Formats: sequence, C-alpha cells, structure tokens
Amino acid sequence: MFDFLIAGIQAPWFLLVFTGFTVGIVGGFIGVGGGYMVTPALIVFGFPGYMASGIDMTHIAGKGIVSTVRHRQLGNIDWVLALSMVAGTMFGVEEGIRLLGYFKHLGLSSVALLSASVCLMFTLFVYTLYETVKSHRRLAQMAEEGKALAREVTTSGLPRLFQRFPLAPIVRCRTARVVVSMWIIVLVGVVTGILAGFLGVGGGFIRVPALVYIVGCSTHIAVGTDLVEIVFSGAYGCLRHSIEGNVDFVAVMFMIVGAMFGAQFGSIATAFVRGPAIRYMLSFSLALATLGAGLPLANVLLGGKMRVLQALSVIVTLGQMIFLCLFIISLVLFAWRARRGKWVPDWVVPLLVQDAV
Amino acid sequence: MTRRERTRSIIKFLFWAAASAGAFWYAVHFYTSGRMVHWYYYQAKADGYAVNARAFMDATPERPAALTVGEFSSLDGLQARAVKKGEVLPEHATGVISLETLAEGRRASLEGGTLTVKVPWELKQAKGFKYKDTFTHKNIKTNPLSGLWNIVMVGLIGVCLGYLAEGFTDMLGLKFKKIDHSVGH
Repeated sequence: MFDFLIAGIQAPWFLLVFTGFTVGIVGGFIGVGGGYMVTPALIVFGFPGYMASGIDMTHIAGKGIVSTVRHRQLGNIDWVLALSMVAGTMFGVEEGIRLLGYFKHLGLSSVALLSASVCLMFTLFVYTLYETVKSHRRLAQMAEEGKALAREVTTSGLPRLFQRFPLAPIVRCRTARVVVSMWIIVLVGVVTGILAGFLGVGGGFIRVPALVYIVGCSTHIAVGTDLVEIVFSGAYGCLRHSIEGNVDFVAVMFMIVGAMFGAQFGSIATAFVRGPAIRYMLSFSLALATLGAGLPLANVLLGGKMRVLQALSVIVTLGQMIFLCLFIISLVLFAWRARRGKWVPDWVVPLLVQDAV
Repeated sequence: MTRRERTRSIIKFLFWAAASAGAFWYAVHFYTSGRMVHWYYYQAKADGYAVNARAFMDATPERPAALTVGEFSSLDGLQARAVKKGEVLPEHATGVISLETLAEGRRASLEGGTLTVKVPWELKQAKGFKYKDTFTHKNIKTNPLSGLWNIVMVGLIGVCLGYLAEGFTDMLGLKFKKIDHSVGH
C-alpha cells in the first residue's frame, strides 16, 4: 500500500504499475490513450472520480511520449500530418469540453455522454471490422497466389474520396505518402478533438480510424501519428486537471513506469504485424468499449434501478485490458514461432511480418 | 553490432538511466518533502475553516470529531484555522469547511472555539465502487504553477524513459528497422 498524500487515499502501488503496463501495451499497439479503461480502474482502486480522470490524462501524456519515441524509431510518425492536426485537435478538445458543460447545464450529461459514446463506438466498430475482414481476405488471397505481401492493405474507398477535395493548401505528407487538403486534416483534428473533449478521453480510438479511412494513412502511420496528438491533448488535459486540483503526481509516476514497459512492447509489436492485425485489435477494443459504455447507459435509461449493470461495466472494462494484452502478446508469439518455422494457425499467417528485427 | 556501436548504445543507456533516476528522485523528493502537497492544497476558495480531513476519518453523527480552532501555522490532528477566500492554507490542511456548511449545521457546526464534524472524510456511495469526498479537497485552490510543473515533469520523465528503453534495446543489439511504408500502399 502507498499513501497518496494528494489524493488522500492508500492504494496498492503495484496495481497502478500493472494498469500502466497493460494500458501501455494496448496504447502502444493501437495508438489509444486508454482513458476509457484507466479511469474505471483507478476508481476501483479507491481514487475519487475527478482524481482518476486527472491522473489518467496526465499519465496519457507521459505514456504518449514514451510510445512516440519508439514509433519514431520504427518510422511510424508523419510529423507534417501530426503538427498540421495539433491546432485543430486542441480547438476541438476545448469545444468538446464546453459542449459537455452545456449538456451538464441541461442536466443531460450522463445520457448525452453515454449515448454519444455508444453510437459512435458501435458505428466505428462495425465499419472497422467489416473493412478489416475484407482486407484480411485479400491478404490471404495474395498469400495463396504467392504474391509478396504488403505491410498494409486497405479496401476502403473513402480516402480517395477525401483526397480529391481540392481546397488549397494541399499538404504532401511524405512519410504517410498522402497528398490531401490541409482543411481535411484540420477538420479531422477538430472533429476528433470535439469528441475526445466531450467524451473525456484522449481520442485515439476515433482518430486512428479517421486517419486510416479519411486521410488515407497506413494503420502503422495512423497509430504513430495519433500518439503524437495524444501527447498534446494529454498535456492540455494535464494542465486543465492540474489547475482544477485533480492530479496526484506520484500515482502518475507509478503508472508511467508500468506504461514504459507496456508501451515498448506494444509499439515494438506493431513491427511484427500488418495493418489489418492492428485494425482487428482496434475493432475488438471498440466492441468491448461499446459494451462498457452500453451497460451504464442501460442502467441510466432504466432509472438507475439495475446497479448490477454498472458493476458489470467495470468488470467488462477491466477485463478488456487483459483480453487485448493477451491478444497482442499472442500475435507477437505467433510471429516469433512463424519465423522459426513452427506451427501457427492458418488465419494468422497473412497478418504477421516475420523479419521485423 | 560493431564495438563502436555497442559502446555508443551503452553510453546512451547509462545517460538516460541516470537522467530518469534524477527526474524520479527530484519528483519524489518534491512530493515527500511536502512542497507539492502544499502547492496542491494552496489557497482557500471560500471563507471558512482549514482542516486536515484525515484527522476525522471515522467521524459519525453519533461519534463526532471535535476540532480546536486556533491560529495554527501547521494543522496537527484535530485542529482548524479560520481562513478567508484566497488566503494561503496552513501546512497539512486538506480541505476547507465553508461558513455556509457551518451555518447549515448538518455535517459540521461551530460552538465557541470548537468545530464539531459529524461526517467522515469521505462517504462510500452505495452504487458501484465510487467514493464521495465530504471535506477533503473541498473549497481549495491549487497553485497554478503546479499545472506547469506537472507538464514539464511528465514530459521530462516520458522523454527519459522513452530513450532509456531505446538505449536498452540498442544495447541488446535489437536494432529495429524503419518500416518501409512505400511498399504496397
């Protein structure tokens, strides 16, 4: 047990390190901050809700930097794209927070927040999974035909549509190999920022699909670039929460230590897989997060009588951290086994890269 | 891996390990010395009485806690000090019981030089795992510098740990190749 002087509670420090580790793996791999997983976990450990939110946002900024350093080494960051999006993201986050305040004023914040989360995440889950299954099939077909497998395969036609938007200035993102109007990038930043600010999360699970399906990046670039955005939005969130008095810095440090190990593993793991594997994880994460938000929404809509749904949602949210980590670890193990010529399931072979190191 | 590369990676690892250790030591020292805590519980947001909410962890209406009111520069246990809005809080203060709360008299009351608190420092809510603070963190304002300090420290620690990990894998000879995004996309 550690005595957190600012939070005013005693909590087991190793659980914070473990939470940081698991969320680090998931965050480094699919490019999310993991706010929707960490905040409930901290509340379970005894931190007050506002403090959980502040600690989470601050740790996201630190973890984002750790992951960014590794993704930079792997060449997964398009700095032009990231920096073009920053201002839009910040503006969006601020507007999202104000929007949330407006709904709070109307007394609708819980319903509005949970409904928006559920609708958005479910839509993204369905589209991401549908597109990823198609991409997976195409990869499998290429493998059968004996063709060289690309690192990335996407089947969505949406990026071409958005890249045709002719309004100047047109930005050339060399690493991402994308030429697109600056306004599209800014718009993606603003919209994902609004949703992130409104939902109180880093916004990675919205921004990564947006970068893939609107801007047209490869999934690896989307993950790395999104982590840069998360550093900025996390830092902004950290500043706001710190001023409000919602941050216990030692709790943040414990989480960052865990996140350092987890984020390394998650970031390095991206080198062992092709784009669709990351998108599969993203879609599973979205499905579980939809369930995690759907259960409390059902409780609110039923007049708060089904408290078991609230508790079940915490269990689902914490369970998904473990599930996603094990899935990512399995993918890396499969890549390692495949490289040594050992047996791996047929379905996973097209998703793996065997010469990462 | 050449000898020169190995030496460079060892130096890189040791440098960032030392930097990380330094950053952690500084942050922990700042926390345990009480400076960070004082920055957190910095000013009163309302007129009232500064208290150390830990002192009445288990107070109940049946067994209320009696706090002595005085001009204390540091709150030691069951002590309280009158503060005005914007005034810097005494050491070890973790909340302010506002004059409105005292006027209500439901959760705390003032009689003579004794402040009586009838509720614990936090209440466990019936639903789920949530806690609701009663007086801790209440009516306090954090030093605005703490936000800047947190950002700088979290950035510093993130950079140090990021490069420490990179130095470690370099030292082990695990040089990760840049992913070629031009192929097939």
